[in-house]
Amino acid sequence: MATAHPIDPIHQFHVDRIVPLHFLGADVSFTNASVFMLVIVAVATLLMLIGSFNHKMVPGRLQSIAEVTYEFIASTLELSSGREGMRFFPFVFSIFMFVFLANLIGIIPYTFTVTSQLAVTFGLAMIVIGTVVIYGIIKHGSHFFGLFAPSGVSPILLPFMILIEVISFISRPISLSIRLFANMLAGHITLVVMGGFVAGLLAAGSFFTIVAPLPLLMVVIFLAFELLVAFLQAYVFTILTCVYLNDAVHPGH
Amino acid sequence: MQGQDDGHEFGQDADKDEALRARLQSLSHALNAQSTDAESAQTDEKRVEKAQRSMSLAMSLGFRVLTEFVAAVIVGGAIGWQFDKWFGTSPILLIVFLGFGVAAAFWNVYRMASPKGSRDRLL
Repeated sequence: MATAHPIDPIHQFHVDRIVPLHFLGADVSFTNASVFMLVIVAVATLLMLIGSFNHKMVPGRLQSIAEVTYEFIASTLELSSGREGMRFFPFVFSIFMFVFLANLIGIIPYTFTVTSQLAVTFGLAMIVIGTVVIYGIIKHGSHFFGLFAPSGVSPILLPFMILIEVISFISRPISLSIRLFANMLAGHITLVVMGGFVAGLLAAGSFFTIVAPLPLLMVVIFLAFELLVAFLQAYVFTILTCVYLNDAVHPGH
Repeated sequence: MQGQDDGHEFGQDADKDEALRARLQSLSHALNAQSTDAESAQTDEKRVEKAQRSMSLAMSLGFRVLTEFVAAVIVGGAIGWQFDKWFGTSPILLIVFLGFGVAAAFWNVYRMASPKGSRDRLL
């Protein structure tokens, strides 16, 4: 390449240790991912605190954001898991805010996208499934395992159905985490590759310089697309969390 | 109490109903006219945005089907592989559980597509 900086689309996902720390043999270093997780939590907290600090009858901008987000998540949760599911509202709201802000902040250039790390998304998915399993067993005891035995199946087929349902249940956290991770990873790699085309064409000179704005246009369109994906993936993650929580609240279906 | 009042003013209520219905009809006519106006006035930009939106919705639904499918096959294969290691029956259980994984994958996708599992679906 003729460019001074070789463009590496994977570089943006590199986790750097800022403060190396080791605790009981595990690497718990403070990394750039940790920084951005703290930023996300700070932004979410400030947004909700300032939004609800001096509430008026006619809401201002921040208050509107806080209220719309609250009502959106509350209606989503109540629609899929009923009134009993509302006890999980703080949990679901935190998950949505974290994933949505992580996706959104990740779009800003030079930031780190936390949700493009499989470890983070799998951790989130395991928290969701762990909550479902633990709450389901505490609330319903052995009745919770009725989830794996669909009703109206002939006794001969039942063992196979149970096996298939168990595999399907185990696949939930995997599909939940891989979907979010892969969407963010693919989108960000595409953006950098498109940006690389602009730099490469400009450097190539003559005729190529004239067509250089074309990939730039694609970058702009893709950014809008990425904004939609950021919201949509956070929403999908949240709505599936609600659906899975519904299994813990009402296991017999 | 209320039932008595209703009985007394039945004729008046019918008149009111009639007037209300007429007003409702004229309002819905106005609303229809306005919405068709708005539709025709929709700019290209909006239409592009709408297309992009439905495109990304469809893509995310497709991606959901893909991940649900792949995840179940992977889980089935992993369980079979681990059982083979424990019981020393390689590769019989891997093959059997891979089959169960594929069955679970189709079951996942079927549940998303069936109207009964509509709460499982995206939007």
